[in-house]
Amino acid sequence: MKFKMNMRMRHILEGYSFISLWIVGFLAFMAVPLGRSIYYSFQNLSPSKSGLIADYVGTQHFRAAFTVDVQFLPLLQSTFTNMLTHVPLVLIFSMASALLLNRSFRGRMVFRGIFFLPVIIASGSTLKKLMEQGAANLPIFMDYDLYSTLRLFIPSDLLMNLLEYADALTIVMWDAGVQTLIFLAGLQTISPALYEAAKCDGATKWESFWKITFPMIMPMILVNTLFTMVSSFTRADNGVMDYINQRVFADNDYGYASALGWIYFVLIFIMIGIVFLLFRRSLSSMEGR
Amino acid sequence: MANPQAIVDKLKMSDKIDPAVKFYTIKKSKNFVGNAFYYFVLLSLAFIFLYPLLYMVSKSLMQTWDVADATVRWIPHELNFHNYRVAFTEMKYWQGFSNSMIISFGSALLQIVSCSMIGYGFARYRFPLYGVWFVLLIFTFLVPPQTIVVPLYMFFSDLGWINTHLPFIVPAAFGHGLQGALFILIFIQFYRRMPAVLEEAARIDGAGAFRTYWQIMFPLGRPAMITVFLFSVVWHWNDNFQPSLYLRLPPFYNLAQRMNGFYGKATMTAEQMSSSVSSGAIGMAPTVLNQMMAGVVLSVIPILILYLFVQRYFVESVERAGIAGE
Repeated sequence: MKFKMNMRMRHILEGYSFISLWIVGFLAFMAVPLGRSIYYSFQNLSPSKSGLIADYVGTQHFRAAFTVDVQFLPLLQSTFTNMLTHVPLVLIFSMASALLLNRSFRGRMVFRGIFFLPVIIASGSTLKKLMEQGAANLPIFMDYDLYSTLRLFIPSDLLMNLLEYADALTIVMWDAGVQTLIFLAGLQTISPALYEAAKCDGATKWESFWKITFPMIMPMILVNTLFTMVSSFTRADNGVMDYINQRVFADNDYGYASALGWIYFVLIFIMIGIVFLLFRRSLSSMEGR
Repeated sequence: MANPQAIVDKLKMSDKIDPAVKFYTIKKSKNFVGNAFYYFVLLSLAFIFLYPLLYMVSKSLMQTWDVADATVRWIPHELNFHNYRVAFTEMKYWQGFSNSMIISFGSALLQIVSCSMIGYGFARYRFPLYGVWFVLLIFTFLVPPQTIVVPLYMFFSDLGWINTHLPFIVPAAFGHGLQGALFILIFIQFYRRMPAVLEEAARIDGAGAFRTYWQIMFPLGRPAMITVFLFSVVWHWNDNFQPSLYLRLPPFYNLAQRMNGFYGKATMTAEQMSSSVSSGAIGMAPTVLNQMMAGVVLSVIPILILYLFVQRYFVESVERAGIAGE
C-alpha cells in the first residue's frame, strides 16, 4: 500500500515538474498582469516622478466607453462585423484549397509550397505595408486592362462591384494559409477505406463529402473557427487594437485603456462561448458514436 | 450466401466501381478536360498567392518613371538595383536584421525547448488540478494581448527591460510569449499520439522521468518541432505589435518596424530628375514606391530563404505532427 502511494506521488511530482515552468510563466506573464489590469480599469492613473499615482474612480471608465467615447463603439462594431464575414469566408476557402491539395498530382509539393507562402509574406506588417498602396486592399482585379476587356461582356456597374469583391476575397485567401494546413492535416487522417466503402454502396463524390469528409473534420472546423477568430481580433490592422495602443502611448491614459481592453476581452469571450455552444452538439454526437 | 445471382450482381457492380485510388489521383489520359481545368484552378490560385511577392519584387526593381508609367506593369524597362542600396542604408539593415534574428530565432529555439517539455507533461501525466491548468492553457491562447498590455509594459519597464530583447526571450523560455499556448497544444497532440512502449522500455532500463523525456521523447518530437520553429520564427519576424511596445528607440527597432517606417527617400539626384523629365513623366509626384518595396523585399528575404529550406519538411511535419488534434 505504501509503495503504491509512493508511485502515485512520484507520478504527480514528475507531472508537475514538467509543467512547473509554464505555471511560473503563467503567474508572471498572465495572471498577475490580468489582475493588475482589472485593478487599473477602476482607477485613474497619472504618471509622476515616483511612478504611477492611482486614484479610485469606480466604473467611470466603463461607463465612459459606452457613453462618452465617440470612437470606441463604432470601432468595436466594425471589428465584430468584419469578423462575422471574415470567418466563414476563410473557412470555406481554406477547406476548398485543402481539398484541392489533398489529391495527388504532378507538382503537388511545389503547389503546396506556394499555397502556404502567404503565411510567410502576407502576414503582419508586410501585408499592412502592401495594403497602404490601394486604400483597403491590393488591386489585383481592380485593374484598368481587365476592366476595359470585361466591360464588353458585363455591364460596368456590376463589373465594378464584382472586381471590388474579388479583391476583398484575395485578402481572405492570403489569410487562410494556416487554416488550409490544419484542414489538410485533418484530411490526411481520414482512412481511404471509408471512401472505398461508400463508393461500393453507390455514393457519389458529393454524398461522400458530406457524409464522410465533413463529419470527420468537424473538430478541425472548430479549431479553425477559433483560430481565425482569435487571429482576426489580434490582427495588426485591427481598429480596436490600434485605438487601445493610442490611449496607452499617446494619451498615457492607462486606466481607460485597461477598461477598454477588458470590454474587448469580455466580448471576445462571449463570441467564443457562442461558437463552442454551436459546435457542442455536432462534436458530442460524434463522440457518442 | 451461396446465391449465384447475388454473386453475379456483385461482380457486375464491381465492374462499375473504379479503384478507390480514383479519389486521390486524376486519371491521366482519359480525363483530359477535367485535368486541364484542375490545373487551371491550381495555377490561378497560385498566381493569387504569388502576387504579393511578384508585386514587390517587380516594383522594387523599377526606376521611378517606370512606376509612374501605366504601360509598365510587371517588367521594368531596365533593372534598377539602386532602390535596394537606398533601402539598405536608410533602414540600417544590419542593425535591424540582427535585432530581428535575436528576437525570432532566440524565442523560437527557447519555445521549442520549453513548449515541448510542457506539452509532454500535459500529454503524459495526470495530476490533481490537471483540468484547471489545461483550461488556463486554453485561456492564455484566447486572451487578446491588448487586455494585459498596460500591466505587462509597466512590469517590463520596472525591470528595466524596455529597449532590450528580454521581453521577447524570457516569456518564450517559460512557454509563453507569442502564441506559446498554441505551440504547447501542438506538442500535446503530438506526444499523445506517440506509443508509450518506448518510454516504458527506457523506464525499465532504469532511466528517470527527465532522462526518458530528454533522450527519447524530445528527439522524437522533430516533426512537431519543425512546425513550431517555422511558425514561431515567422510570427516573431513579422510581428509589429509587441516590438512597437517594447522597442521604443530606433537603434533597437527590428526589421518589421524599420520597414514600416520606411517610405523611401524622396530626394532625387539631378541625373534621375533629368531622365525622369526626358521619359515624359512631367508633373508626376516623385514616387518612392519602388524604394519602399525594396525595403519590404529586404525585410522578408531572410524568412523566405528559411522557408525555401524547411518547406519540404514543414508540410510533411504538419501532417505528422497533427497540428489539428483528434
